[in-house]
Parts: sequence; C-alpha cells; structure tokens
Amino acid sequence: MAGKYVLIVDDDPDLVETVAMMLESKGFEVGKAYDGLEAEAAIKKRCPDVLILDVMMPRKNGYQLCKELKSNKWTQDIPIVMLTAVGDAVPNTIYSHAEGMALEAEDFIPKPVDAATLVEAVQRLI
Amino acid sequence: MERKIERSRVGGLKVLEGGACLVASFPQDEGRLAERVCTPLALNRINLSFFTHMASDREVLCTASRSGEAAFTLLRTQAGSEAAMHLQPGTAILSLYPHDKRPEIIGNFILSLAQSRVMVHGLGSSPAAISVVLPSRKVKAAVNQLFDNFHFPAFSSPQEFFAAQSPPEELLRQVVASYQEKVTKVYWIVPQPDLDLWGLNVSSTDILAGFADALLDLGSLGLQIPFLVALPGLGGKEFLLSFSTYAPQPGGERGPEIRRILKERLPDLRPIRLTPVASISLHGPHFGDRFGIARTLTVALEKAHISLLALSCTISTISLIIRQYQLAAAQLVLVQTFAAPVEVSTPAAAGPGHEYETG
Repeated sequence: MAGKYVLIVDDDPDLVETVAMMLESKGFEVGKAYDGLEAEAAIKKRCPDVLILDVMMPRKNGYQLCKELKSNKWTQDIPIVMLTAVGDAVPNTIYSHAEGMALEAEDFIPKPVDAATLVEAVQRLI
Repeated sequence: MERKIERSRVGGLKVLEGGACLVASFPQDEGRLAERVCTPLALNRINLSFFTHMASDREVLCTASRSGEAAFTLLRTQAGSEAAMHLQPGTAILSLYPHDKRPEIIGNFILSLAQSRVMVHGLGSSPAAISVVLPSRKVKAAVNQLFDNFHFPAFSSPQEFFAAQSPPEELLRQVVASYQEKVTKVYWIVPQPDLDLWGLNVSSTDILAGFADALLDLGSLGLQIPFLVALPGLGGKEFLLSFSTYAPQPGGERGPEIRRILKERLPDLRPIRLTPVASISLHGPHFGDRFGIARTLTVALEKAHISLLALSCTISTISLIIRQYQLAAAQLVLVQTFAAPVEVSTPAAAGPGHEYETG
C-alpha cells in the first residue's frame, strides 16, 4: 500500500493517533485532521485515496462534510469510510443514524473499530 | 541566554473549563488506589476528567467544579491520618495535540507554560496529547503563548480559537450518551514494551524552565517520550515528575546520555531510572466523561497483584506504566475486564529482571 494516502478525521486526537498507527504499520501514508473544516483544507491540499471520517465533530460534522464532498464533482469519487458510534451507544443526540445512512458514504464502521476490519475496508476501497 | 525556539506545527488545542483539582497523598496506603480513591468516587458517580497517579502514592484528580467538594470529603473520609489533600477550585485542563511522542513538542509546551507564568497543578499525557491542569484565569495567557510557540492549522489566532469554542452545555448535549454496557467498551488496548521510566523530584521553580530545556535537548537524541506525568508536592515546594523514554532505533544504551542532559539542565537533582518497563494505553469512548472507568481498571489490576508505577488519564485514554515482566499478565487481565480488541506485543522480559539506578 506504499504511496496510498489515507486522511483520518476525528476530533478525538487519541483515536486519530491509534488509527494512524494501525494504518502506518500496514504501509499507508496517513494524514490527520481534527474537524470537518480542517479536513476540507487538507483535501484541497492533497486528495486522499480514502477518507476516514468521524460523525460528531465541532465546526463541521462528518455528515455535513460527507454530503458536501459527495455533491461536488471534484470530490465525489473520494471513497469515504464513516466511523460511527451513533448506531448503538449514542441514540439520543442530534446525530440521527438514519440521516447518516442516507448519505452516500462507501462504508460505515461502528466503533470500536477492529484493526483488521478497518484495514480491510480501506484496502477494498482503493 | 534565552533559547530560540522554532515554531512547531501541531494539530490543535482543547480547553476544558469549569473544573476543580484535588491533589492527594496517601503515604500509608500504597497499592490501595482502587479502594482509597477510585471506588468511592465511582460509587458517587464522580467523573474524572483528568487523573494522574505515581507509585509514591500521590494523585492529582480533576472533576467538575460542582463535584470538587464532594470528592474532597469522600477521600478525606477514606484517608488515614497520614493522608494529605488539597482542593483547588476554578481550574481548567488545557491539552495540545498531537505530541507525536516528540520531546521537543512536549518541551515546547511546558516552556510555553513557563513563559506565560502559569501555576501548574498537574501534567499528564495520552498517546496523542499533553495536558496541563492550570487556574482558569490563566487559560487565556497560556493559549496566547502557545500561539507564539506553535502553529495551529485550524486557527490563525487565539481570538479565532476562543471564538470557535462551543459552550460547555452544548458539548455536553452532544456528547452525553446512554452508555449502558455491562462490560465497559474500550476501543483499543495498546501495549508498548521496552521503555525506561525516569523519576525526578525537582523544586517548583525549576520544573517549567529547566525540565522544558532538558526535553528540548532530549529531542536531539531521536528519543520518544510516550508517557509523562507531573504532580505537585503538597507543601508547594517540590514537583514529582515521571516520564518514560523509548529509543525507536535499536543499538545502544541511551541512559547515560539522558542522565547527562538532565544533570546539565537540572544540576541539583538525582534522577531515578527504572528499566525495563512497559506502558499500556486503554482508549475508550469519552473516558473523561464517564465515571467508574478508573475504578474498573485499578480493581482489576490490584486483584491480579499488578503494581502501577504511574498512571495518566486525559483526553480519552488511560495510560499506565508497569514493570515489563507483568505486561503479559496485565494485558490478559484487561482483555478479561473490558470489551476490546487487543494489539498483541511480545514482551521481552519473562521475569522480574528490572533494575533501579540512581545518579
């Protein structure tokens, strides 16, 4: 997977660090961003081969960013894996799971993320 | 002569306001962290947004302001006559990330605190972040200084950073979840063997400047610092510091070089080195917002007779340092206690072959 670039976006820096460590150990090049706006800027600088996107984030959440990327002809082909705890652990927040599923992300992986599952999902989308 | 610091690019900052900080010492109760500290707080549903511990029996705990008095009373009730405690209301937790385990980032962070003349109530680390507990009234000064010493891609100025902060109640509304797990869910349990653990006891005035300088010098050795905690002495006259080092490049003992650098920058101290040790990081969803996680962890380790040398809980991770020969046993206990996938490592030491050094 040398040269393949994965951008990880989550407002939990410890989660970003751990996912980055996992992917780097498999030979991926990894970029990090900590909210939706920062991710936008990072994508403008370098288009990722896969985007790993959290849902709940400040400034711009993952659903908003996913929607915008998929409706832009320059970014609509970026494969997106959404990491979500929304399905089970956080049922009563503003982040509706149904809303998320209606988006066109390529994959949804519930947290906690098994390393093998995540790497497999990323490899499948490249 | 003042050192010229290069402005480093890092990911971001987090500020958690509205806290109270409790510094506690239980000199007669070493090895009873679960019973004396974590259990009473968990049973009274008190969240720990920051928690550090050293084997010398000292703790720094942070909780919401409204729970500070309750935490103080609970621990005082549990404590023997030798215990000492101090409650500091009106504190905040300021975290910078990612430190990438680089001594120069951590050093620059601590230097920023020294330059902004912040009183440090405690330092702790997570795999990504370095955190300080400080008086709330000093947050602005500290953030201003951090913007002088670091570059944050998401914000061009401290004003922009503060303007983007959500009101605490909004954050709570978004984050508070109905976690009802019978077994606490952990995202990852990540071990790291082959570390050295350094312990220092320094005067309060030296810690910020001298230790920051030492860390900046350690950066030139290509070492990593995966773990760091600092706790104030209760009399305000000393600081206890503990940090681990890891040499990613094999070949060669780095202990003497580290000791030389520490001596140069902090000539009056006698660093203690314990080797080999291992760290384990448990990363979970909103650990700082959920009571009882530290209790589950410490009860399980104490039952298995695994001694904690140091512990740090900040952001969303609890990191602990143990003797390396106990790593396999600790991993087993944690996998049985929490619901988590585990990253497997191969601890080098099979028996209690660690050594202490002083100098």
